[in-house]
Amino acid sequence: MQPIVSCRGLTKTYGKGALSVQALREVDLEILPGDFATLAGPSGSGKTTLLNMIGALDKPTTGEVAIDGQALQSLNATALSDLRLHKIGFVFQSLNLIPVLSAQENIEFVLELQGRPSKERAERAREALKNVGLEGMEHRRPAALSGGQQQRVAVARALISNPAIVLADEPTANLDSKTALELISLMYRLNQENGTTFVIGTHDPRVMEHTKRHIELLDGKIANDTRR
Amino acid sequence: MITALAWRNIWRQPIRTALSMLGMALTSALLVFMLSFQFGSYDIMKSSVLRISQGFGQFQAKGYKADPETAKTIKNAPALRADLAKIPGVTASSSRSVAFVLLANGERSFAAAVVGVDMKDDAKISKLSSMVKQGRPLNATDTNAIVLGEGLARNLRLKLGDTVTMLGSGLDGSVAADALKLVGIFKSGVPELDRQVAHVPLARFDEAFGMNGQVNIVAITGNRLNDIVNDGRKLNALADKYGLAYLDWGALAPGIKQAITLDMSTAFIMYLTLVVVVVFIILNTLYMSVLERTHEFGILLAIGMKPAQIGKMVWAEMIFLSLVGNGIGILLGIAITLYFQKYGIVFKGMDAIYAQWGLPARFYPMLSTFSTFIGPSAIVISIVVLGVIPYRRVLGLEPVEAMSS
Repeated sequence: MQPIVSCRGLTKTYGKGALSVQALREVDLEILPGDFATLAGPSGSGKTTLLNMIGALDKPTTGEVAIDGQALQSLNATALSDLRLHKIGFVFQSLNLIPVLSAQENIEFVLELQGRPSKERAERAREALKNVGLEGMEHRRPAALSGGQQQRVAVARALISNPAIVLADEPTANLDSKTALELISLMYRLNQENGTTFVIGTHDPRVMEHTKRHIELLDGKIANDTRR
Repeated sequence: MITALAWRNIWRQPIRTALSMLGMALTSALLVFMLSFQFGSYDIMKSSVLRISQGFGQFQAKGYKADPETAKTIKNAPALRADLAKIPGVTASSSRSVAFVLLANGERSFAAAVVGVDMKDDAKISKLSSMVKQGRPLNATDTNAIVLGEGLARNLRLKLGDTVTMLGSGLDGSVAADALKLVGIFKSGVPELDRQVAHVPLARFDEAFGMNGQVNIVAITGNRLNDIVNDGRKLNALADKYGLAYLDWGALAPGIKQAITLDMSTAFIMYLTLVVVVVFIILNTLYMSVLERTHEFGILLAIGMKPAQIGKMVWAEMIFLSLVGNGIGILLGIAITLYFQKYGIVFKGMDAIYAQWGLPARFYPMLSTFSTFIGPSAIVISIVVLGVIPYRRVLGLEPVEAMSS
């Protein structure tokens, strides 16, 4: 099976000389289609840095990243934007959504960037909201949604373009236990039903309980990679 | 949706946006009014000066302006005037002849320009007859009457009813001599006119100088100077048809034209300063709003929006803001200008001074497409062009760096 994500000898160093910090050290990692994996580790272990590399948001100091078979090193900013638009979905810790757009418009926005026609955009966005349990909240702006609802919209937006992989960085960090559990359950259901690949950066044990694969980072290295 | 997003973005901070728009609107309104007032004042100045005697335009033989010899004539003035009557902006035309003569009263003699005028037509073009301070102006039935400028009459020590001897050179080179009765003395406030010009009936001039129906000048007028200016192409074509030169207001009153050019240059610097200050204040506000949204731009980059698309969105925000602000300003400026265009503006205490120059006490702004749009357009274009600064900043954003801000 061809991996969705393939990292080879990935290192990332911030700063120069004596003040430099090595966030990733020779990381080799493959994410397979259908994975529902957590990227765990203490603060400063390199979770976010690795997610940024996989998400084509940042470039490694050395090493290679390939998404769906496409190497990222040779791509310019525009090509990387295109790759993110079509192959990667993101859910961040907070402030995910565009505040001046409604829930439905936030989701439609991705489809508009892809050049989809208006009618298709609206239908798919409504369907996506229904799928994450937010039917009837299409016209609410983010400020009128709870934190959990906002994260659900972010999940719906991440999935709307049927990406090869969804990357979530601390998606439950700002949520209460019940809402966090609901969000994880939602992502798990989508993984089970649609086979969507998820990589979730977290140190939340509630999240780790639900995942099928657990990747542990320590000091920029993969300390443990287990499947359940 | 990017357009909708740009529009909604400018209303995220409604008070800030409203203040920015208000700043632009007031500046635009001020520019519309000030430019209209300036052009209105110029129009009044030009019209007032040209109405004294010269008219809004003149036809002359080629070379007459540089070397005004009586022999340089318009041979078929009636046909020319008939053609002029077909041009919509021209409301009246008048034939004139001019000769440089010696005027004498007893032992006193002075050089003067004697103008033969047909009062039936010339009164529609020249206000000189209304400036007669002693006696009366020429009328259509006069035969041997003469009206002099105040300075000339004083130099010749003439009083009403005196006989003035005129000595000049006729069209065929013979001596042109005549004795005319002083019926009126005018005071135009223009020293050159008052010291050097005398008016006689055109028929008398024709006879004395042997003009045989030829004239030196056909002067024209219109309801507004701009009507004549707008007919410039037709008037020049008519001049070509008759082998003549057409002199517009600038050629007739070069001093006024230079004064207006100088005034415009000074005003331009003031307007430019105003535009630059406003544009940079607005740009600073907009740039701040871009900096505030760096995190959000990072999210947009992450979900696949291209840097150039975000840049265009920011640019669109600037265009919206400047269009709305300046649009309101234009409407406000038009309203203010139209009000004063109807009722005028009086500068109290200045009326006596203005009257000396033949100017009215009440000034009116003159709204035109140019005065309406040039100022606000300068603001909009400056903001749109300088929008490249935030645009370039957005282009240089890296997603991770932006999201961590």
